[in-house]
Amino acid sequence: MHDSHLPEPVGVVLEQLRKEFGEKVALDGVDLTIEPGSFVVLLGPSGSGKTTLLRCVAGIERPSSGVITINDVCVAGPRTFVQPEKRKTAMVFQDYALWPHLTVRKNIAFPLASSSRLKERRDQRVDDLLERVGIAHLASRYPNELSGGEQQRVALARALAADVGLILFDEPLSNLDADRREQLRIEIATLTREAGATAIYITHDQSEAFALADRVGVLNHGSLVQFDTPENIYRHPKNAFVTRFTGVAGECPILAAKAMDDGYFDVSLPFAPLHFFRALGVDCHGDVSSLHFFVRASGVLLNAPGGDEGVCGEVIDVAFNGRGYEHVVKVDDRMVLTKVFSVRRFERNAKVKVSFDPSACFVMPAQRSKG
Amino acid sequence: MADLTISTTVAAAPVSRQRGPAKSRFSLGGTAIWIVLFLLIVAPVGCFLILAVSPHVFQQGSQWFTLTFIHQAFEGYTGQGIFNSLWVSSLVSFLAVSTATTLAWLVHRTNIGARRLWSVSMWLLLLMPTWMMTLGWTDLLQPYGAAHAMGLNTNWLYGEFFGPLGIIIVLTSSALPFAYFIVSAGMQGLGPEFEDAARIHGAGRTRTFATVLPIIAPALLSAIAISFAETMSDFGVAFTLGYHAHFPLATYTLFSAISNFPANFSVAAVIAVVLILLTIPPIALQSVVMRRSKSYAVLSGRTRAPRRREFGRRSRYLASAGVGLVVFVGLGVPIIGALIGSFVQNLGDDSGAGVHFTLSYYAQVIHPSIVDNGLASPLLLSNQLGLVVASGTGVMAIILARRLVANHGGWSQRITDIFLLGSVAVPGVVLGVGYIFFYNLSFITHHVVDIYKTLPLLMLGLVASALPGQTRFMAGPVSQLQPSLSEAARVHGATRFRTWRTTNMPLMSRVLVWGWLLTFTKTISELAISQILYPPSQEPASVTIQSYLANFQSGTGTAMTVLTLVEMFGVIGLALGIYRLVTPEGWRRTGWSVVN
Repeated sequence: MHDSHLPEPVGVVLEQLRKEFGEKVALDGVDLTIEPGSFVVLLGPSGSGKTTLLRCVAGIERPSSGVITINDVCVAGPRTFVQPEKRKTAMVFQDYALWPHLTVRKNIAFPLASSSRLKERRDQRVDDLLERVGIAHLASRYPNELSGGEQQRVALARALAADVGLILFDEPLSNLDADRREQLRIEIATLTREAGATAIYITHDQSEAFALADRVGVLNHGSLVQFDTPENIYRHPKNAFVTRFTGVAGECPILAAKAMDDGYFDVSLPFAPLHFFRALGVDCHGDVSSLHFFVRASGVLLNAPGGDEGVCGEVIDVAFNGRGYEHVVKVDDRMVLTKVFSVRRFERNAKVKVSFDPSACFVMPAQRSKG
Repeated sequence: MADLTISTTVAAAPVSRQRGPAKSRFSLGGTAIWIVLFLLIVAPVGCFLILAVSPHVFQQGSQWFTLTFIHQAFEGYTGQGIFNSLWVSSLVSFLAVSTATTLAWLVHRTNIGARRLWSVSMWLLLLMPTWMMTLGWTDLLQPYGAAHAMGLNTNWLYGEFFGPLGIIIVLTSSALPFAYFIVSAGMQGLGPEFEDAARIHGAGRTRTFATVLPIIAPALLSAIAISFAETMSDFGVAFTLGYHAHFPLATYTLFSAISNFPANFSVAAVIAVVLILLTIPPIALQSVVMRRSKSYAVLSGRTRAPRRREFGRRSRYLASAGVGLVVFVGLGVPIIGALIGSFVQNLGDDSGAGVHFTLSYYAQVIHPSIVDNGLASPLLLSNQLGLVVASGTGVMAIILARRLVANHGGWSQRITDIFLLGSVAVPGVVLGVGYIFFYNLSFITHHVVDIYKTLPLLMLGLVASALPGQTRFMAGPVSQLQPSLSEAARVHGATRFRTWRTTNMPLMSRVLVWGWLLTFTKTISELAISQILYPPSQEPASVTIQSYLANFQSGTGTAMTVLTLVEMFGVIGLALGIYRLVTPEGWRRTGWSVVN
């Protein structure tokens, strides 16, 4: 049960957002439009600027230049800076940021203190939230008496209590173990959507990003490299950085490439020069020597040796993951494939045939510099 | 007051306030603070110190540049004072740190009894001024004194006590709590995993100890540095025991250089320079060591509570008795001596009149015949000074501490840091003499402010004396406040004021209360600056008590000392009681704690 009046979801627009810390450029002209009510995940490695971006939206950091608009109101611009408490946002922090001197109930009630509701309604709201995040029995405890997962639930409830149109999540699951992470991820997705708020969530974990997001923004070196649906990011990565960061089983340079009419290329690879592999071409304008072949783990198929299809490989490791087996397969010194899934177990040192699904293979410039 | 490194139950390691270096920029607040600090400490002390080589600058002599006073300061009585201060401080810092390390290990890493009591005793010892300790010891050991009244023959010890031995005992007792708190903090961050790792990888007890010891080496070095600096700066023992035992210490020779007629400010300035130069290196070393030791990073959210060594019953009693003996020597003897001295008639009288219980000394303190010159007005004045100085210092210290840990890397922060570091090394007596010199300069009295020989000057001196130590005391807990706690409050709708009131203040409340009490009690018992700066007919309690003791009215003086001590501890009890009654439970559960 929760309040009948849901907050109005808000849109967020960033225009040429830039943030410098001394010589270091943390954000380098980011343009981003977030639709009201959407769940946006910003994905990137450490130092990519995702936390800085979130803190700028929250008002904790002041941008060096650029404009931030929340709900059509400019909150940061050349002559404008709205203080964090005036932005009507809520935030779940990576370290939870629960006030250790306040009980769970008081932590959750904090954002309601400035609300115009009657005390009884506020208490009722806190009770509802305690129930919803499953910690009603912990209401009178202090944060240091809770486990990590329980603390994060309190932080989530506090953010929801604010009844605001925009909730920010700063890597909220990074300090939890795998089981709790999965459970809380589902709760965050469900409760945030129920609350009707727009969400900006940052993480460096692509599976978390894909599971949560309506749209994913991939950041690298302070720039937004790609902003799209999870499916498009996975199926049509914009460049090598996005491809690598969202998971590849392996990559290698190509020997030759021939463009086809449908956007695909036939490429020959060093470990099978006479064989052509089909892959989706991305930005293949330059010299062929600058191009690499990439394959997603989902695009690698393993078969027992003997058939005509595929190239030969050798299993060098195998791990059971519950649903089946993840293999590491060496095709060549330049091509070792990881996380290759099969429901069948292939033993270490076993010879296998490896084939590739063209829809999960890409050929594109291998650049490792700025994305 | 020294830089106490303290731990807190607020989570984890210090967090940088701002990621990455920011551009250096002009800060109005920083400039204002720096101007206040300049007028409060740098200018008075700086102008005074110049006299060491250039007395003509301030019309204190004819020479623009001379080394004469340096030669004078290192000769005779003053030279002896410098030499004595140096070797006594070195020995005391060694003794204090050795004892404190043993105590800290016993209290924090073993199962000895009454552990909270020993930690609280260290706090009481910290609050006890050295002149009060000296008084208690004197009353106990003097011929026909308190020990004699109890049937103990201590004549053999009396002569020894009135010399280097007594000075070393009192100063070691005084330095002990500083060393204890620093070493304790280092020891508490030392989780059992380091010992476990060494043992698992084949190290015996000795090798394990040798492996783990360097982890607390920064704390040990800090403790040595602070003990040395505190001992060098002490005035209470120098003014009482040192003077009576004809064992000059530098702080007293400095005082006598300006209190004798004609006052010799230049020789005093040389001694002051020597005191500061001898004190700055260990303090600076301590600062460098503490900064470098961050790489050890033993305090983290994952550090488990240290494991205690389980003593058997006999060892436990022996260890507890050992700690009890140290506390008795440091705290018990002075208190017992002072109590007996104030309640027993004819103490020290060899006429055969016999000793007996009396309340006459206490009656004299409040008797109408001496009421004008009694304790009431001075003690009231001292309390008023304590109130103003502790509150003013508290506010300034918290602002400075926040700047100190802000980690924005600007010039203002760097200057504040260097300045505070240097100021901790300025003994109170140097500050006092600097004040009477600087604020009596005709330029200052005619064009800036005319507060010479007034209460505001004494107040400023006391604030200036307490501020550096208090700031560094606050800096530890302030640095351990996670920035995300304030950020969470702001993001969830709290204004700056509400953020401070609802998140920072509760977490800092205990350290604020203890910091306030520490400054309040230290101000009431402060002697060096009070003795030098008190305005005519407005004596603080410590000065009044000293004048009674010096005029052979030791019974009355001792009764005044006891009443002052009772009043000090009463205020502490009252303040802590009120704090307990009025603050929510959460405030008392978190943050810095006096008993770790």
